[in-house]
Amino acid sequence: MKLKHSLFSRRQFLNGLLGGWLAALLASFLYPVIKFVFPPTREPDQVILPFADFRQMGPNSVKTFLWGAKPGILKKKDDGSLLAFVGVCTHLDCNVSYLADQRKFFCACHDGWYDENGQNIGGPPPKPLRRLVVSIEEEDLIIKREGEERVEDL
Amino acid sequence: MKTGIQSWLDERFGLSNITKFLKEKTVPQHKHSIWYYTGSAILLFFTIQVITGFMLVFYYKPTLEGANASVARIMTEVPLGWIIRSVHSWAASFLIAFVFIHLLSTWLTKSYRKPRELTWMSGVFLLAASLAFGFTGYLLPWDDLSLSATKVGTDLPRSIPLVGAWVTKLLRGGEDVTGDTLTRFFGFHVSILPVFIFILLGVHIYLIQKHGMGLPLVAEGKKEKMREIPFWPNFVFREMVVWLLLLGILFSLAIFFPPSLDKAADLMAAAPEGIKPEWYFLFLFQTLKIFPAKILFLNGDTLAVFLMLLAGILFFFLPVMDNKPTEKKGRIITIIALVVIAYAVVMTVWSLL
Ligand code: FES
Repeated sequence: MKLKHSLFSRRQFLNGLLGGWLAALLASFLYPVIKFVFPPTREPDQVILPFADFRQMGPNSVKTFLWGAKPGILKKKDDGSLLAFVGVCTHLDCNVSYLADQRKFFCACHDGWYDENGQNIGGPPPKPLRRLVVSIEEEDLIIKREGEERVEDL
Repeated sequence: MKTGIQSWLDERFGLSNITKFLKEKTVPQHKHSIWYYTGSAILLFFTIQVITGFMLVFYYKPTLEGANASVARIMTEVPLGWIIRSVHSWAASFLIAFVFIHLLSTWLTKSYRKPRELTWMSGVFLLAASLAFGFTGYLLPWDDLSLSATKVGTDLPRSIPLVGAWVTKLLRGGEDVTGDTLTRFFGFHVSILPVFIFILLGVHIYLIQKHGMGLPLVAEGKKEKMREIPFWPNFVFREMVVWLLLLGILFSLAIFFPPSLDKAADLMAAAPEGIKPEWYFLFLFQTLKIFPAKILFLNGDTLAVFLMLLAGILFFFLPVMDNKPTEKKGRIITIIALVVIAYAVVMTVWSLL
């Protein structure tokens, strides 16, 4: 069927074409800008540390290690087993410290408290400290993300 | 008499329009006139920031390895470096203090009413830019305090759905605060923010010239003609007296109380006890501290961020909402202004206890 009248004028059509073209041009300029300002950062899948460095730890003590750009905290429990955490507060990202005498993790930024297992027990932190999975393989201490461990378990 | 050079330039630039305008400009005199001086005080401190900023940039190194040491060098080795840094740091505080005063006086005298809504809105952007200058500048010495403040401040946007995590990443230059964040903040502080603030200042000052000095609501109702003084030279000379006074106070404080510099920040170290942001963020800091971990089903900090955003938006649109300042609505908004001021003061004092 042929329409008697066009649905839009030639001018509207050309304006639309021009506008669309300009928008596409703008997007093609913006895309590399946006790509550029976000550097690729990836959390490590695992870190491997020499076990020898950590063997001397006494019970109820902590040692830090590098988890990507974040501090990781390795904690030896009273029974000698090891726990690992990402050492940043779940409130607003400050680095936490372990107060061995009180058996608590403390965040100085807004007085946040966690118990010795990383459970949030006071102040603004909404979640427990993030856990990492520790395993020992011969002379290596292997620290992995929790999620991945679950995948392996399946 | 115009000299040859003057008229030569005038034919090309047409500056006589501007000088004519300034000669005819008047400033009303009434019991709230004192607030008119806050604007030029801000410009005074801004100029000082530009000049001392140019100087500091000659020695400052915006890298993880160099930042703290270069500031230490400015404080100890560079001739008069400690005074320059001290003035830059104190003038920042003065600038922000006067921005607050300027803005609150506009709010309470309701000078933002028609046709000055856009003057207010550009002012709110200027406030945001000033705070951003303060926030980015605080990191540059790269000591423990500044690191924790930056971690918290850049983590806040993360609570905003969809875009939040990207904003955090954009500000930090990655997932975490690192040396890249420092370099990026330096970029914000010395190149991006200055461009914005010059544009905003241009708009703001143009609007003020276009509409003339606003009258406080209480003065406007009066029937008799208000006393006015010429802007040039009478008002400018009075301003100069104020500037000299302020400069005296600024330099005295800068000489007797130079800012400290702690040891270089360690990205792996725990946040030091007693961390605090700059004084103008203390009320936000205290708010974050007292918000509980969970409120209903929301995280406390998420709710706090939403409230801040909402407050910012309401603040921006204040002149549109406060469009009947003489009626009941206007009086309620004045009361809200007083409550907001009281809240900020109480929170600030509390955080210092
Ligand atoms: S960042 Fe740890 S309590 Fe706020």
